[in-house]
Amino acid sequence: MSQNGLGELLAKWRDNRKTWKIIFFVVLAVLLVLNVPFVTHHPHFGLDKYPGFFAGFGLVVGLGMVIIMKKIIQPFIARKEDYYGD
Amino acid sequence: MEISFYHPSVAFLALALLVPFIPKEQWMNKAFRGALALLPPFIALASIMTIEPGMYGAIGYLDQALVLGRVDKLSIVFGQVFAVIAVAGAIYGMHVEDRGHYVCGSLYVAGGFGCVFAGDLLTVFLFWELMSIGSTFLIWQARTKESVGAGFRYFMYHTVGGLFLLAGLLLKFKATGSFAFIGVEPGAAQLYDWLILIGFCVNAAVVPLHAWLPDAYPRASIGGAVYMCAFTTKTAVYVLCRGFAGWEVLAIAGTCMAVFGVLYACIENNARRILSYHIVSQVGYMVAGIGIGTAMTLNGAIAHAYAHILYKGLLFMGTGCLLYAVGTAKLDKLGGLAYRLPWVMVWYMVAALSISGMPLFNGFISKTMTIAGAAEAHHTLLALGMEIAAVGTFISVGIKLPYFAFWGGKRDYVGEIKPIPVNMYVGMALTGLLCIAQGVYPDMLYRYLPFASDYSFNPWTIDKVINSGLLLGFSGLAFYLTRAIITPHAKLNLDFDWFYRLIGRVVMRTLCWPVSKVDDFWTEVYRTAGLRSLIGMGDGTSWFDKKGIDTVVDGSAYTVRNIGRAGAKVQNASLQDYLAYAAVLGLGIFALVWYFG
Repeated sequence: MSQNGLGELLAKWRDNRKTWKIIFFVVLAVLLVLNVPFVTHHPHFGLDKYPGFFAGFGLVVGLGMVIIMKKIIQPFIARKEDYYGD
Repeated sequence: MEISFYHPSVAFLALALLVPFIPKEQWMNKAFRGALALLPPFIALASIMTIEPGMYGAIGYLDQALVLGRVDKLSIVFGQVFAVIAVAGAIYGMHVEDRGHYVCGSLYVAGGFGCVFAGDLLTVFLFWELMSIGSTFLIWQARTKESVGAGFRYFMYHTVGGLFLLAGLLLKFKATGSFAFIGVEPGAAQLYDWLILIGFCVNAAVVPLHAWLPDAYPRASIGGAVYMCAFTTKTAVYVLCRGFAGWEVLAIAGTCMAVFGVLYACIENNARRILSYHIVSQVGYMVAGIGIGTAMTLNGAIAHAYAHILYKGLLFMGTGCLLYAVGTAKLDKLGGLAYRLPWVMVWYMVAALSISGMPLFNGFISKTMTIAGAAEAHHTLLALGMEIAAVGTFISVGIKLPYFAFWGGKRDYVGEIKPIPVNMYVGMALTGLLCIAQGVYPDMLYRYLPFASDYSFNPWTIDKVINSGLLLGFSGLAFYLTRAIITPHAKLNLDFDWFYRLIGRVVMRTLCWPVSKVDDFWTEVYRTAGLRSLIGMGDGTSWFDKKGIDTVVDGSAYTVRNIGRAGAKVQNASLQDYLAYAAVLGLGIFALVWYFG
């Protein structure tokens, strides 16, 4: 597909932002439901024998990482871009 | 029957020698230039795909038998992926007209192949240093002011790392009488083994020795960065795998790397620096796999190195396109580029989903193998650390970088976009298709894994696919909820290089202070005593000079002046040039000793 054609298609998709959001949440829900019959075959961490473990893990670790790094750590280690003079 | 081995480095060295002498008209022909640059990687690929394992190319050098071609399953798999990325890199970079790119790139790649097929530590060291020089010049190929300083710092780190390696291998030679490069049992480790390990760890960017990587790679040239992200750290992974498998300390260091790199990438603004921190993180998985040292984790580490070389090369190609088209890779200045550079976005996303371990892409089949291997070996905490790193990888490289560069979240980039040469797209497409092919058909990669494992790993089970989907999907949800917080800012984040720069400054001061004092004193002495006597002597000699010497000397004076001019041209106080002359001289001496020795 040409550069412009694909670009226009993507721009059209952008206008359906709401639909994409719904699709995203539906996919998450479907995966969670599927995790009930197809739960981890060989659990390694203990808690991963329960369905939804990796969902909770991803969400909690993701939230924690972003908030701790951006809100707590970065203020201490951020400097101006030309701090080293290069 | 003697089977000959065609060493993959040879064609690259030949190209590096040949490029400066190609007439300009031919050189400016892109097809000719590209074909020429593609020749060595294809020769290397053909050689590696057809070679039988064995020991080849032993030569005598400095009274030692050096083995240039140790070909076994381990060196074949690394050699193969090096050749593949060299092909893709050559296609991606063939629009570059600067001959330096080809010379430095070829020397660097030749060094990488040399290390992989080296049968002894001295050979490793020689090619190790060749890589270090080649890559330093690849950084300078960016020809920006900031790349000059970054190149010097990079060279300093690698020189120090190389000295550790040299000290280690010389001490080892003294103790054991050989340069043999074989696995070391952690229990029987001597001081020299630790020195060699430190030398390797500098190149593997093991935290806290990693600071050179996020410093230099974002500042390297666009084409150069594609090579660099493949060879330096992965050569180090190879030598660690060969020499230090099963070292517990590496297992812990690797997991720390995996998490550390992800944390820094989370707050970084420069797209190429985000990717650099993710090299630290991804190499962490490999180092951890090597440290755990079971057949499965070693295979996982190697599979991950293979997959990583492909998707990381593609990531640097994608962000390189942004830098090429827009002139910056800083996320706060980009935005909305998906509509203007849609194919760059598509190939970037293939790589981003690969590194994140999304099913259908090659990171899925290699990362899960390493993590499952760690858990199988009852290193639950390490496996957990790697899962944490996997979440961070998807958030930074899989969502944050493309979201702020290609989609919304803030103001779109509205400036001019320089058209991207077709060859850059071809290079990306080739690498991207390989990433997908390996993800869909894992055996394409698994069949080359060197270690026999009694447990055959299959990533494509329904629970593994769902788990990966959940992990990534809900990490995505975490990003969605924190997207206002994670918006990148134009800031510099302090890293361990703060300490290294401090050490550098202190050393400079302690060295410069006495030197400047001596210099001051000497100037004073010269002014009072030396100058006067010189003037007296000058008066005396000028009479003799005028009468007798002038006629004779004039002729030679012209000669001297002309030599002086040439000398002045050489001595332009540009340290990069000095380094280049030294490197050429060094290579020349090496070749002479090799030939006559």
